[in-house]
Amino acid sequence: MTTLVTPPTESEGTGEPRAMKKPRKVGRWILFGAMVIVAIVMLYPFWVMVITSLKSESQFLSGGGFSWLSWSSLTSVIPVGQEVLSSTILCSASIFIILCVGLPAGFAFSKLRFRSSTAVFLVIVSAMMVPLQAILMPEFVNVTKLHLTGGYTGAILVYAALGTPFSVFLFTTYFRGVPDELIEAGIVDGLGYFGAMWRLVLPIAVPAIATVTVLQFIQIWDDLLVGLLFIQNTSDRPITVGLAVLAAGRTTSIPGLMAGSIISALPAMLVYLGFQRYLVKGLTMGIDR
Amino acid sequence: MSTTIPIPATPTFAPKARRMTLKRRRQFAGVVFALPAIALVVCFIGVPIGQAVYYSFTQWNGLTSTWIGPSTWTQAFHNTNLWTALRNNGLLLLSVPFALAIPLGIAVLLHQRVAGWRVFRSIYFLPTAISWVVLGLVAERFFAYQGTLNSIIHALGFSHISTNMLGYQSEALIALGITFVFTMIGTNTMLFLTGLATLDPSLEEAARIDGAGRWRIFRSITLPHLSRFIQLAFVMTVIALFSALFSLIFVMTGGGPGYATTTMEFLIYETGFNQGDFGTAALYGLILFVITGIVGVVQLRLIGSNE
Repeated sequence: MTTLVTPPTESEGTGEPRAMKKPRKVGRWILFGAMVIVAIVMLYPFWVMVITSLKSESQFLSGGGFSWLSWSSLTSVIPVGQEVLSSTILCSASIFIILCVGLPAGFAFSKLRFRSSTAVFLVIVSAMMVPLQAILMPEFVNVTKLHLTGGYTGAILVYAALGTPFSVFLFTTYFRGVPDELIEAGIVDGLGYFGAMWRLVLPIAVPAIATVTVLQFIQIWDDLLVGLLFIQNTSDRPITVGLAVLAAGRTTSIPGLMAGSIISALPAMLVYLGFQRYLVKGLTMGIDR
Repeated sequence: MSTTIPIPATPTFAPKARRMTLKRRRQFAGVVFALPAIALVVCFIGVPIGQAVYYSFTQWNGLTSTWIGPSTWTQAFHNTNLWTALRNNGLLLLSVPFALAIPLGIAVLLHQRVAGWRVFRSIYFLPTAISWVVLGLVAERFFAYQGTLNSIIHALGFSHISTNMLGYQSEALIALGITFVFTMIGTNTMLFLTGLATLDPSLEEAARIDGAGRWRIFRSITLPHLSRFIQLAFVMTVIALFSALFSLIFVMTGGGPGYATTTMEFLIYETGFNQGDFGTAALYGLILFVITGIVGVVQLRLIGSNE
């Protein structure tokens, strides 16, 4: 890769037009070649998943061959349908709570500031830095004692709590760009604060809502720890947890696991490809302005 | 006590009074709107931090806890597992420069805007969408005895060499580090590319006219411009290193062989849920909390310096 930055002709620094033209073109091809190589490396996981899933157990061990077996018998190895459904329920419920809680809070911290609201805001934002593992034990015992691990409730609440600080941060920063006059005009017109939020703030918050939704979807869909510990019934497991537990058991056929991996990867990839813009915006939030 | 604080004189003019109540009502609405978020964060993040402090001084199995006192801490620091985990985390820090330099190179590559760069960008970021569980599964296949790594080595003509990195204490952590670098490429490239997009192209142009070589331009213009993004990527990578490896470890090694790939976060899980020692696990959690807290403060500073 360093060759791209330092082509030999440039080291002279003479900048003679005719001498530069040809190496430039060659340089472009080298660049293109390097990009193809990186692309191959980045696509490697997908290649492994697809190739391996198209083999039977014995073909996988011997190396050659092709078979649909791991796909046709997939549901007997991994309850894919149930697990995808669980993942979907977990994601949608958690994201719904995160939005319902984060949007009004962002509105409050940016436009309806109350006494020491800045301090409260900072405390909530710094909760972003607390990894779940740091509070795992008390969290687990609390949620268990409240009898919330039976269904999805416990996991949903934990996901919602972990996602809220970021969404509050994002909504607050976003709403700071909205002129105060807009809200004041709404209040004067008798909308009330809730009406102002519902009719004036919500419609312009769509990009921020999209960013939070996309980021949290990928985060929650891909998560292992919460789903593993806060959902007691194995029949309620989301797909990522199902895969991880099977993999850790080391008894499942690898082609089957890879087929399951593809199923688990597809929704997140589609969301990513469709909403790449929002993902980038969310990841570079706070520095890109 | 509050009587000593001078209370602002009650407004005498009607308009001013109305304004006051309006302000009051606005503040009240603000509190009401912020309350659900505050409650959620306090109940599920704030309270457990306090509990973790309490339980770190107790012997606790999840049901009953007995107060032991500060001796739990001295005991924990005499536990070799804790030091192994901290050492593993420390060694993994060595992978951070790679997790920054490789994405930086890729971002610079993409920034050249070669034909089809948008497609390449999408491809490079694609693994970012996938669960680290899945990436861990693939990595396990890569490093396995019959995996891709050995195929590559054999194809290069070294048929007498066969690796099994995940199987050996001395090599498993390296394999984990390599996988970690791969998983961070997408996010960090994204960050750097955003940074490069904000770079004024006329600056580079001017330098080129002045006769600066590409390497010189990169070192004197591009790199200083990116410093803020590099700092942020550094902090995000370190935080991920301490708090996001769980999935990879869980599917790749289960923390082993022995404790060779057990990091702090995995040790917490292991101590709590495999050994049932909730008190010690809570204590380890606090240590992790302090470590990420220090890194987090740095990050807040970085974001704050921008505003």
